[in-house]
Amino acid sequence: MKIVVAYKWAPNPQDASVGVDGAVDWSRAKPGISEYDPVAIELARRLAEATGGEVIALTAGPKSVDASMARKAALSRGFDRAVIVADDALEGAGTTELAAVLAAAVRHIGDVDVVITGDSSVDVGAKMVPTVLAGQLGWPAVAEVTAVSGSDPAAGLLRVERAITGGTQVLEITGPAVLAASTDAAVPRVPGMRDILAAGKKPVETLEVPALDVPASGTTVTVTATARPDLKARKGQLIDTADPAAAAAELVAALRADGAI
Amino acid sequence: MSINIWIVVAGDPAVGNLIDTARSLGGQVCAAVVGSRVVADTVAAGGVDKVVWFGEPGKAPVEAFATAAADVIEATPGVVLGASRASDRVLLGAVAARLQAPVLTAPSSVSAEGDTLVVTRSIFSGIAEETVTVSGPVAVVLDGGPIPVANPAGGSALMEEVSAVTLGMTVVETHSSDFEQVDLGAAPRVVGIGRGLKAPGDLAMIEALAKASRSEVACSRPLAEGLDWLHKDRYIGVSGQHIAPEVYFAIGISGQLQHMVGVRGATTIVAINSDPNALVFTEADYCLVGDLYSIVPALTDALR
Ligand SMILES: Cc1cc2nc3c(=O)[nH]c(=O)nc-3n(C[C@H](O)[C@H](O)[C@H](O)COP(=O)(O)OP(=O)(O)OC[C@H]3O[C@@H](n4cnc5c(N)ncnc54)[C@H](O)[C@@H]3O)c2cc1C
Repeated sequence: MKIVVAYKWAPNPQDASVGVDGAVDWSRAKPGISEYDPVAIELARRLAEATGGEVIALTAGPKSVDASMARKAALSRGFDRAVIVADDALEGAGTTELAAVLAAAVRHIGDVDVVITGDSSVDVGAKMVPTVLAGQLGWPAVAEVTAVSGSDPAAGLLRVERAITGGTQVLEITGPAVLAASTDAAVPRVPGMRDILAAGKKPVETLEVPALDVPASGTTVTVTATARPDLKARKGQLIDTADPAAAAAELVAALRADGAI
Repeated sequence: MSINIWIVVAGDPAVGNLIDTARSLGGQVCAAVVGSRVVADTVAAGGVDKVVWFGEPGKAPVEAFATAAADVIEATPGVVLGASRASDRVLLGAVAARLQAPVLTAPSSVSAEGDTLVVTRSIFSGIAEETVTVSGPVAVVLDGGPIPVANPAGGSALMEEVSAVTLGMTVVETHSSDFEQVDLGAAPRVVGIGRGLKAPGDLAMIEALAKASRSEVACSRPLAEGLDWLHKDRYIGVSGQHIAPEVYFAIGISGQLQHMVGVRGATTIVAINSDPNALVFTEADYCLVGDLYSIVPALTDALR
């Protein structure tokens, strides 16, 4: 099987700072493999181990996604090779644009049986790239996937388990398909020293957007204002806990005084 | 708005907020409904102008109709609204792809100015907000809201049944487990527990506090996904529930952005954490630095 994992090299908004005008400054937020993507990689590796086949890393973003640290971080996680669309034109690209580029790259790779993604990216977190990607390819998509196996890999049949409200469901899907992993689908392996050393030797194909066949959008989106959300001022009152009973009494008294309980 | 407004429905009729939002834009509202006839009828009676229904799904999951939904909406593209649930996102994603339409998530307001759509939305897990104007087809992901109430005057939208070519997907097994449904949004007080809890058996201690303080129990995402100690319905944050209770007790929760964004509307936040540098203390009204295993039982006693 040819398995692609679409991952993101992105910073955590927690580490960004936001100006009073709502401008986001990412300069102190270090990017990394997006928090939930290792889960997708683990699912892909298990599928590859069970069915035979290769696992290909795919990402798209500005040039920084192709930095040597970024490449190593991805390739040390057990990929066979990587396809990286690195183009500064993708700085701040929206969901649909990114998904269109990823879809074009999947077509470029060719004969892909399944694309697996994480639940959501740490920076944007829209949970929409996998579904728009599937739409671009005309493939089935399923989110909240907890397990995947090749029920008849030769026939392109996938057995996919997913979480639904109050339970689980098993689907049989005629691939190729796009699957978004639930955050708890698998516990990712931690790369060891050997994986990190081997990462440098794995083949990487780097592309720019013009090399791909990416459809354009006819919609214009204009940002007319940005703002920093108005957070409630908090009291930040410290309650001494040396004596838990006294601390509890003080808290209850304070909450009663506030009319909160 | 003179452009087309669509809502996509993925087997779950809890789309009241989509209908209200679509209506507020002031144009014709069409619903593309995947699911049973009952779902289509509920939507048709709930205040839309027209329903396109794809027929009984049988063993096909909702997602199998993604291409069919895109086909229908492509004929009269416009503003397309969908709920943030997993299956709804699949349908909306397929439509957005077909229209090459941008996707906007987490809106706090959606309005129309002539033929442009104006959306104010939260970005990057809520650290900032932006207002955008959009001209052309666009997909917007919103909270689905409740099941719409039928128009008391009776009457229902025009229903058109179309036959759909489905994608190759079949449901082969469904397992449901019992869980107690909870409306955290309506609870005046909520006790949130995080990874500071050491064992699932210790939840009894948290439940005792919830009982004494007449609160509902909620949690951080890792407790619901990964540890599975509480149902997914109960986790709070950017990808979970957003609540604004009178009091939120954050216990053994580090207070990362993705969690806290779900409780920023709380009137009072109490934080209990053994790490004096935990982020949660920067967003709390009352800060108790210490072991939750000694503070929680004491607090429960004090409230009784
Ligand atoms: C895209 C994305 C979306 C996410 N969405 C959500 C979301 O919706 N909701 C959510 O909750 N998270 C979400 N997360 C995860 C989030 O970033 C945090 O990882 C998570 O909230 C941490 O949970 P926690 O505070 O329970 O665990 P930890 O961060 O591990 O914190 C545990 C805390 O317990 C304290 N502690 C330990 N022992 C004790 C003790 N005996 N007494 C008192 N305190 C103790 C520790 O000091 C620590 O602060 C998301 C992440 C990503 C990347």
